[in-house]
Amino acid sequence: MKRIFTKFSVLTFLCFLFNYTAFAQNITVKGTVTDGGDKTTIPAVSVQVKGTTTGAQTDVNGNYSISAPANATLVFTYIGYTTQEIAVNNRTTVNVVLASSSQQLDQVVVIGYGTQRKIDVTGAVTSVKGEDISKQASVNPVSALQGKVAGVSISNVGKPGASPQITIRGTGTIYGNTNVLYVVDGVWYDDINFLNPADIANISILKDASSQSIYGIRAANGVVLVTTVRGKNGDATINYNGTMGFQKITDAVKMTNASEYATAVNEAYKIQAQPGKEFLFANTNLGAGTDWYKQALRDAVVTNHQLSVNGATEKSSYNFSLGYLNQDGIVKNNNYKRYTARLANDFQVVKGLKIGYNVTGSASNSKDVPDAIFRNLYAASPVVPVFKANGAYGEPADFQLGNGSDINPQATLDFFNQRTTKYRVTGNVFAELKFAKHFTFKTSAGGDFGQEEKRAYTPKYEATLAQRATNSLLAVDRIETRNWILENTLTYDNKWGDHNLTVLAGQTAQRYKENTLKGTALNVPYSSEGDLYLSLGDGRSIINTGKLNTATSYFGRANYSFKNKYLLNASMRADAASQFYGGNDLWGYFPSIGAGWVISNEDFMKDQKLFSNLKLRGSWGKVGNAGVPINPSTLTVSQAAQLLAVFGKDFTQTGANIRMIVPPALFWERSAGTDIGLEMGFLDNKLNIEADYYNRTTEKAIFDIPVFGSLGLETSTIIANQADFRNRGFELVASWADQTSSGLKYTISGNVGYNTNKVLNVSSGANPIYKGGAGLTSGELATRTIEGRPIGEFFGYQVAGIFQTQEEVNASAQSQDARPGDFKYVDQNGDGAIDRKDKIALGNPNPKFSYGLNTNFAYRNFDLTVDIQGVAGVDVYNGNLSARFGNENYTKKMYDNRWNGAGTSNEYPSADLAGRRNTATNSFYVESGAYVRLRNIQLGYSLPQAITSKWKIQKLRFFANAQNAVNLFGYRGFSPEVGGTPTNTGVDINVYPLYATYNFGLNLTF
Amino acid sequence: MKTLINKNIQTWCVTAAILAATLVSSCKKDFLNVDPQGVQPETQFWKTPEDAAKAVNSVYANLRSWNNVAFNAIAIESTGSDEADKGSTPTDATFFNLYDTFTVTSTHGTILDFWTGQYQNIQLCNQVLENVPGITMDEALKARFLAEAKFVRAFSYFRLVRAYGNVPLRLTIPKNEAERNLPQSPKETVYAQIEKDLTEAAAVLPASYNAENVGRATKGAAIGMRAKAALYQKKWAEVLSLTNEVIGMGYTLFPDFEKGFRVENENNSESLFEIQAALLLDNKDASNSQYSQVQGVAGHMGWGFNTPSAALAAAFEPGDPRRDATIIFKGETTPQGDFIPATVPNDRYNQKSYVPFNTKVSGYNEGAQQNIRVLRFADILLMNAEAANELGTPSQALISLNKVRARARGGNPTVLPDVTTTDQTALRNAIYKERQVELAMENDRYFDVIRQGRGTEVFGIKGWKANKNEVWPIPETEIEQSSGLLKQNLGY
Repeated sequence: MKRIFTKFSVLTFLCFLFNYTAFAQNITVKGTVTDGGDKTTIPAVSVQVKGTTTGAQTDVNGNYSISAPANATLVFTYIGYTTQEIAVNNRTTVNVVLASSSQQLDQVVVIGYGTQRKIDVTGAVTSVKGEDISKQASVNPVSALQGKVAGVSISNVGKPGASPQITIRGTGTIYGNTNVLYVVDGVWYDDINFLNPADIANISILKDASSQSIYGIRAANGVVLVTTVRGKNGDATINYNGTMGFQKITDAVKMTNASEYATAVNEAYKIQAQPGKEFLFANTNLGAGTDWYKQALRDAVVTNHQLSVNGATEKSSYNFSLGYLNQDGIVKNNNYKRYTARLANDFQVVKGLKIGYNVTGSASNSKDVPDAIFRNLYAASPVVPVFKANGAYGEPADFQLGNGSDINPQATLDFFNQRTTKYRVTGNVFAELKFAKHFTFKTSAGGDFGQEEKRAYTPKYEATLAQRATNSLLAVDRIETRNWILENTLTYDNKWGDHNLTVLAGQTAQRYKENTLKGTALNVPYSSEGDLYLSLGDGRSIINTGKLNTATSYFGRANYSFKNKYLLNASMRADAASQFYGGNDLWGYFPSIGAGWVISNEDFMKDQKLFSNLKLRGSWGKVGNAGVPINPSTLTVSQAAQLLAVFGKDFTQTGANIRMIVPPALFWERSAGTDIGLEMGFLDNKLNIEADYYNRTTEKAIFDIPVFGSLGLETSTIIANQADFRNRGFELVASWADQTSSGLKYTISGNVGYNTNKVLNVSSGANPIYKGGAGLTSGELATRTIEGRPIGEFFGYQVAGIFQTQEEVNASAQSQDARPGDFKYVDQNGDGAIDRKDKIALGNPNPKFSYGLNTNFAYRNFDLTVDIQGVAGVDVYNGNLSARFGNENYTKKMYDNRWNGAGTSNEYPSADLAGRRNTATNSFYVESGAYVRLRNIQLGYSLPQAITSKWKIQKLRFFANAQNAVNLFGYRGFSPEVGGTPTNTGVDINVYPLYATYNFGLNLTF
Repeated sequence: MKTLINKNIQTWCVTAAILAATLVSSCKKDFLNVDPQGVQPETQFWKTPEDAAKAVNSVYANLRSWNNVAFNAIAIESTGSDEADKGSTPTDATFFNLYDTFTVTSTHGTILDFWTGQYQNIQLCNQVLENVPGITMDEALKARFLAEAKFVRAFSYFRLVRAYGNVPLRLTIPKNEAERNLPQSPKETVYAQIEKDLTEAAAVLPASYNAENVGRATKGAAIGMRAKAALYQKKWAEVLSLTNEVIGMGYTLFPDFEKGFRVENENNSESLFEIQAALLLDNKDASNSQYSQVQGVAGHMGWGFNTPSAALAAAFEPGDPRRDATIIFKGETTPQGDFIPATVPNDRYNQKSYVPFNTKVSGYNEGAQQNIRVLRFADILLMNAEAANELGTPSQALISLNKVRARARGGNPTVLPDVTTTDQTALRNAIYKERQVELAMENDRYFDVIRQGRGTEVFGIKGWKANKNEVWPIPETEIEQSSGLLKQNLGY
């Protein structure tokens, strides 16, 4: 016991120490490196004496020569091949055959609660190597996956610090938690924004229901498994990656200048024909005026530094990393900083027992800009100067512009003072015990402690008529999360004869707690940030709310393969969650089964030359979604502030009452999915093709049921398990890896995913869910979710054209309220009136196709990566165009194409775009959201080892990189990547403009 | 030695793991049974007198909600009239035009929202009426609480029956799915229920409250509201006796017509019932009345909707001080000293909802403190006059009518001479005219003209059609959900 204790302390210290290299007699070792497949020689293979910085490279003929101790071990590494270690053993010639990674029988992939040989996998699992992520110089690990994985669509959010939206094989739920489940070293998260991309060793994406079902409770939206970097055998390796770059808007929408704007507004006034208001601008010759985008936006700098030290001895390994990101937003004043630190240690306490921990600390600090700033910039009038001659803010009211364009965005930015700080400590400790030869028992306890504080201060100020504050206001929002997860697994692993069997049994318990505190105070003084405390103000208010839910689960799985030809996998998970406590359906059961046949390993395939790999696999599984509101079936008392009564001279009395009916007992949303896949390798696996078909149905999804308004409830709907959705599609991945005789090595990999989404059935009948851009069009909503149609499709009037003359108006169904220049809507039911009954489906915000083309080229010391990515078959609702309340600015395109008298346009309406029913949701505003983009282009140069080895450097690489530099799309807004929640997606009202990032960076390894 | 340690450790680990697993599963039941965080389950409510008081308070509080006082109330109860224009800029909230031109159909959201708003009040009242009787508490206070709920329920049904005609009459909390789908009751039945609730309420409610409770329903409010319900049914004898009863209760007209609408004079001597609202610096969410904000001077103190029409400005007799007290004209300076610049988008704004600019607190709704005058003594007097005239006693009619004109005169003997005609038709027209100017911009005019049977005469030019526009359509989604049980109003 005492000895163990001592070992502990020694080991803890050891992990910060570097080993010394032993000195020995050096000999010269020579040899040739060849490809195990086509037997060609491989140039530029890195040859290294293990545990030293001594290294060499093979020449164009695959030959190398290196001086090494006679007892040394040589390490041969090359991208796309499995690293080999070979002991010299006094030999002077060591020839090596490298196996390309794809033909490797023992290549493993990370799956739920373990790993599996790739050959044994019967579901659809895609692995992405950490270096493919860190190499992209993305600030967020998820955005680096864009275009890399078939069936995974990622929609970027430009705001610094925000995470992109990720959807795996379509939208499978519309309620509750729609986030993908991220599992980082066994701990569950909704978001991995806190991770430094350089800390990621591998990302495994579980795409099909059978692979996901081992995570039953939360797997319905897909599972992403993240394994972080751990120390590798050998001396301490120090890695530094640094980039510095800038972000530049790529596809700015051109707005009208002051003269054009004034012309258009006058036209609108003429059409409105208000007595005494025939025009707004007596003189429309106002020049260029203010370009608000130019005024508020900038090329923004981004810097990123990542430093890590890792290594391992026989008894322990360690990895320590630091990350620093400093990103300016493209809006002036906007800045985001993130600091991350991570420490991982593993100790081999005694033979068979390993213990270890991971801990990640992350802190971020954001200087925010108002969420509505992009909408403000869009709407702001070019006739308003930023500042007047006397230095005061340009005043929209001077021009009588009215609601909608009454904002001077510069004043908005100047008086906005909001900071968001986030702290998070998360990680796990684990112990792993191997016993009785085939058994491994692992226990792990994970925790996640987070604190998020948003502090906003508005001073007392007077900028314009609409932008002033009669008093200062301080608002502090604080959210604390305290989550834990316990996990115990027992694995049995055995190989005998032609049999290969792994059996897993496990149990977990989880608890999620959130505490939100919001406080406000008026008249807080401000001489420094130190004044910003609620107690310095008056009129203080506090709101405190919380959430708590728990879950407990059991699961088991068996993987069996026979002769590496016949594969069988089956799993079962049982979950119980507090959300369903008290109902009669507390436990959810999630089984899965999968089978595979490696045809290429059959005897009858021995003599054929076509396939180097041929595998057919099929699987079926069930997954669940417990992401429903907390305590959904408890009837609770509403004690909202809105129920507080006031009597007499502001005497207040608390009010409370029942304002709800509880839905019928809720139960789990369950998805059942089938996946059939075919994997093919040709020409010694130079060409690999993988095709998948999937069909997945979400059963009894939680869906709104409208309730009678005459019930007088607080909400117009209640929820119940009553809809079935289906996502069905294909995926195809093809990759080609080869090298030319001149030594150019390259890989080209393309992937495409096709998905259709449909609401199959709503058991309570036609209960459409209307969502999308409330307030955008006088309360008309832009999306509808209804039986037989895709989730959240656009919905509105069909535009037949533009009314050219009053006679045409008079003869139409809109005779009472239209004027020439207005949209002419199709009277679908022919009843002579245009109302909700004439609305039809206008488009689908769920992309049908998402695709990517990823390439790597390496020639001598140069490497080049070009990634292209895109989506197609998707629509966007251009809410920015339609959301008008008054004299908002016009796009140049709208101005140039507008109707301006009979015969001028039958597509674009008159400048009185906001008049009458022109802003109603209609087909004019629905546009294609398809795009194709040069996602990433990167050129790198590694200094020859002949030079670096003199400096005791293992590797030094310089690179230049451009992300999103070229975007092709037809959409008339800033960016077709709009995003949103499932029933409210693709409605563009305030979207962050697209920007390209140009980086210069270096990778340095000692 | 080493093997021994190995073995020991293995044993410990396995034991610990088994222990851990048992621990987790054994406390599973408790582990999954988590209490709702920060909310009170209904099973803990309806126990104490405090619970009863809170529930009754919620009934009053909801009266100031958006659906009750803002856009939806304006569209349903004001926009169709000849006294108000849409307001704001021509392209802002254009849906009001549907109500101004009577082109709205049953699918428009406001049709449902106003409906829902009234039923929200009714639901809160029904909760009180169903659950408070079972609470052990002071019986007198309990009776008063129930009477208060009956008053608000009757008031809400009055607004519903005026707006939609035949509506479902919900008097209890539905116990099951089947009870949720309720057919419409004929409007006569709805009025009968309104009268029943108000009669029962009047029998219990006190004439007044202490300072901390001013604003709760009073006996006078219940009787006055019953008179108004009778007025809409042309039950003239009832109107006369009920208004006489109120007149005998000591209400007096507030001397200064303009000042009677200011915040400092809320709940004054002529007030029978007001929706109470406040600007509470320490409770922004409770400062949620947007009644004044939506009608406030655009850009300065609100959004500028529901603006007095040119027709209204022209309806006042020469020199009538109420014209200036009812309408804020562009370019004027208000009595409270606010200058209305020529740059505002509208020529006129509602002065009865006006709150001076200097009361604005950033981040809070402008004018959240303005009470909504629901029933004033002036209305009682005019109802009294109308009933007396219809019953053939013009002399009494003239007394009540001229009281209203006398106060309006504000001490200026050269304006608003007493009405003297005893011709029933002439006097009726004079009373109608007086209602138009006295109650202007108080959401009375639209339904007043309709109940007078003059819809086509007054609103016909705007598209109002008899046998259709007396009521708005029943919300389409309600009909859809009722599986045909609810019937659409004629003409929609």
